[in-house]
Amino acid sequence: MNKQPRGVFSFKVIALGVLLMFGSGCATTRSDPEKDPVEPMNRVFFNVNEKLDKYFMKPVAKGYQRVTPKPVRSSVTNFFDNLFYPNVILNGFLQGKFKQGFRDFARLFVNTTIGIGGLFDRATPAGLLRHQEDLGQTFATWGMGQGPYLVIPLLGPSTARDVTDLAPRTFLSPLFYIESAATYGVAALNVINERANLLEATEIRDEAALDSYTFTREAFLQRRNDLIYDGNPPLEEFEDFFEEETDSDAVE
Amino acid sequence: MTRWKRKKPSKLLTPMKLNWFHFPLFLMCWGLQAEATTQPLAADTVVERLHGTLIRVMENADKLGYTGRYQLLKPVVEDSFDFLEISRIVMGRYWRRLGNDQQTEFVSIFRELSTATYAARFDSYSGESFRQVAREPFKGDRLLLKTELVKQNGETIPFLYVLQAQQEKWLIINVVADGVSDLSLKKAEYASIMKRESFPHLIAKLREKIAEYENPKKK
Repeated sequence: MNKQPRGVFSFKVIALGVLLMFGSGCATTRSDPEKDPVEPMNRVFFNVNEKLDKYFMKPVAKGYQRVTPKPVRSSVTNFFDNLFYPNVILNGFLQGKFKQGFRDFARLFVNTTIGIGGLFDRATPAGLLRHQEDLGQTFATWGMGQGPYLVIPLLGPSTARDVTDLAPRTFLSPLFYIESAATYGVAALNVINERANLLEATEIRDEAALDSYTFTREAFLQRRNDLIYDGNPPLEEFEDFFEEETDSDAVE
Repeated sequence: MTRWKRKKPSKLLTPMKLNWFHFPLFLMCWGLQAEATTQPLAADTVVERLHGTLIRVMENADKLGYTGRYQLLKPVVEDSFDFLEISRIVMGRYWRRLGNDQQTEFVSIFRELSTATYAARFDSYSGESFRQVAREPFKGDRLLLKTELVKQNGETIPFLYVLQAQQEKWLIINVVADGVSDLSLKKAEYASIMKRESFPHLIAKLREKIAEYENPKKK
């Protein structure tokens, strides 16, 4: 029962989070030409991740999809959604969404008890809908800019602001506090299951993208922006797009 | 259960006396209402017709095959989108650097790509339907139409359309599916190719995509 290594790790994660917070303090929320200042480095990591995915993760995820029936996969997804849900509740409160926070708390309770440890989503049919909140979104609602776009080795697309979510996601998950070798197996199952859930999306990307790096970056940043505004970005977001047009024309 | 009370009848429904000064008020309301509904209705029709065609294509996907779906979609897609305006936006600052022939070539390939994407993507049907959620005006002569694709299990995917009035007709200039704007995505991609490679490369890649949609690679 030695907690020491994890304590050190946690300090490092917090320190990194704080560093990134200050580092990204003055950037703007909306994507701009400076959104990808470290593109050469990002492209290197992107290519490494793509190779790893092509030769390892994707085949494993496909195999997993072949051998597990759909209801089992959705129970696995439900289980991990529920396991990481305390992070959603916390960030709902941090964003001042108190009503949503309490409802999410009820959701966690219902799914953990009646839903047998989260394996079954009994809360959604009861009107307790699933929300997607994280620390990156919280910082965004507090007015922090997204900072540079980052491709994290093994983890994929993120931004300086969004990468901070790694800390609460890790510490608020019960998995982190269970000292057992089985934890690694459970964590691995989560990664494989998540990849399997993304198989359709990545296939659409491979089908549609002319330049997968740019496609992934744009889709990721836009999706994040949409989540920050809970699916209702202000109309100006769309107008900005057209304004941007004349600006870039003027520059050239 | 005793808490349920019978609602008082609304004041709006009770009869009221009409006076002479109500007449201009009526005219004003009628005028405002006419302005608010007649024009945008045409925009609704454009999107409704596109959605209707997509559902029809999905329902008969196997029978039609890719070519059948393409042929059915082609006239509707070509009549619903403002491809010249889209090309101008999507190519951004590179648009003016292209010659007239190159611009024409781009518009024509982009039009083909759009139809091909729909024909390839909407290739099966499992009870989906579209519904309109809201309509919001933009600055200038643009309009935002919020719709949803409703899956059989009740799950919804938001589809937002940006339309622009073009010679007394509304045409789509952008589709935002599940929070991702098609126009910005393509703009970023094309800019990256124009910057790193060239216009002929971009055209070659677009042609390659169209060919892939027609004959998908077996994986």
